[in-house]
Amino acid sequence: MKIEYNFAFFDEGSKREIRRATLKAIAIPGYQVPFASREMPIARGWGTGGLQLTLSLVGKEDILKVIDQGSDESVNAVNIKKLIALTTGIVVTDETTEATIIQSRHRIPETPLQEDQILVLQVPIPEPLRYYEPSEYETKKLHAEHEYSGAWLMLFEQIVNYGAMSTGADHPVMVHSRYVMAPSPIPRFDNPKLNQNKALILLGAGREKKVYAVPPYTKVASLDFADYPFRVETFQDKCCRLCGAKDVFLDELLNDITGEALYQCNDTSYCLQRMNGISKE
Amino acid sequence: MKLDLVHDIQTAYRKTLASMSRPGLIKNLRDQADKVAMEIGCFNSTLVLALMLFDTEVTFKICSEHEAEMAKLINQLTYAKATELESADYILILHDSKPGDLEEAFQIARSGDLLDPHKGATLIIETDVVSNERNLTLKGPGIEKENYMDVTLNGQWVDWREEKNSEYPLGIDLIFTDREDNILCLPRTTQIIKQVVG
Repeated sequence: MKIEYNFAFFDEGSKREIRRATLKAIAIPGYQVPFASREMPIARGWGTGGLQLTLSLVGKEDILKVIDQGSDESVNAVNIKKLIALTTGIVVTDETTEATIIQSRHRIPETPLQEDQILVLQVPIPEPLRYYEPSEYETKKLHAEHEYSGAWLMLFEQIVNYGAMSTGADHPVMVHSRYVMAPSPIPRFDNPKLNQNKALILLGAGREKKVYAVPPYTKVASLDFADYPFRVETFQDKCCRLCGAKDVFLDELLNDITGEALYQCNDTSYCLQRMNGISKE
Repeated sequence: MKLDLVHDIQTAYRKTLASMSRPGLIKNLRDQADKVAMEIGCFNSTLVLALMLFDTEVTFKICSEHEAEMAKLINQLTYAKATELESADYILILHDSKPGDLEEAFQIARSGDLLDPHKGATLIIETDVVSNERNLTLKGPGIEKENYMDVTLNGQWVDWREEKNSEYPLGIDLIFTDREDNILCLPRTTQIIKQVVG
């Protein structure tokens, strides 16, 4: 039996709910707007928040790109793309510059985003204060009171323990000088891209039922201390083994037998584009 | 042609989203608004916004000469519930509203609380003309340097808004619609600077 789904899978009521929340999220940058998250045909924690945002946005003319940890072809990205393409009939692409909507898990593409693009980030834990405060009501109060000493203390403890801030990903940021926000588990390398970005960035957490946003040209500062400034991951003297790119986020691949470390671009579409460009020259 | 409640509303939403995320950016809903095939007491673009955002979860208030009829119509079309100014999620200030309505709406509209600032109301205000004339300068998130706007309204609305939104993140968000089906959004983060006539 072939089921005829509504355009973009959702019923219109669900889209309205997400759209109302999204407009409020843009009006209060970094603030987590609760919304009635729907059951999706993928498991919670696998990008349902991002998927719901994308489905509420998508129209017939859109071109969609979905990436998962920088890859266009990993299982999560492929399945989300399939679901959206099958229920909308829209074109999907790997090229960052071609896409009008980019849904991403854990990366912001290397190619700078443009004004007519929307970046949708999938968020597992939207609450930056959850690490030290398990109660949702309490964290809401902390946000209300602009009481973020816990977030600073978390970073301070890392410095005491390890001599540096040791957030691997999801390093908390201050948005528009008001809300501390979890930027989703993007590497620290991508945090500066949030600041004054040309594109609208929407973040969705399906399991936690929250939507939040960073409008274009909004000040986003990673939390740090005067004597311990925020630093991105460095790949000094290293470059991609495939395309030779420097100053991009590299994956480290270890050869089990020789123990040798190999580096290559995490953003596969960027890497491929560079290789195609190089081979044309 | 009839308004397509899936695709036309989606197109209108994306325009509204663009306008809300880039305050001062005027988007035109003519193509969608023209498909509204009924005689109503508000601009077609205002009705498109209502159809985009309203359902049983939503409460609204209409400020108009024909408030009762309009409230009934919007309720029948969207199932949203009419309520009073202080509790409405959306306040529609139509072009035939009384002169005092706008000020009253700015004063009484719900601005949310610190736990739930998203409960601040959204005002949808009908004006004759929305433009990018350099009467008011806009700054804030969504704006690279500065944007400009003008609306044909009693100029005091800027002060009323500033007063209402003085305790960010509390406040109200505005959507202006005009006779040409243009829309312009002002989220609470936008700062408005009046041009000084020199």
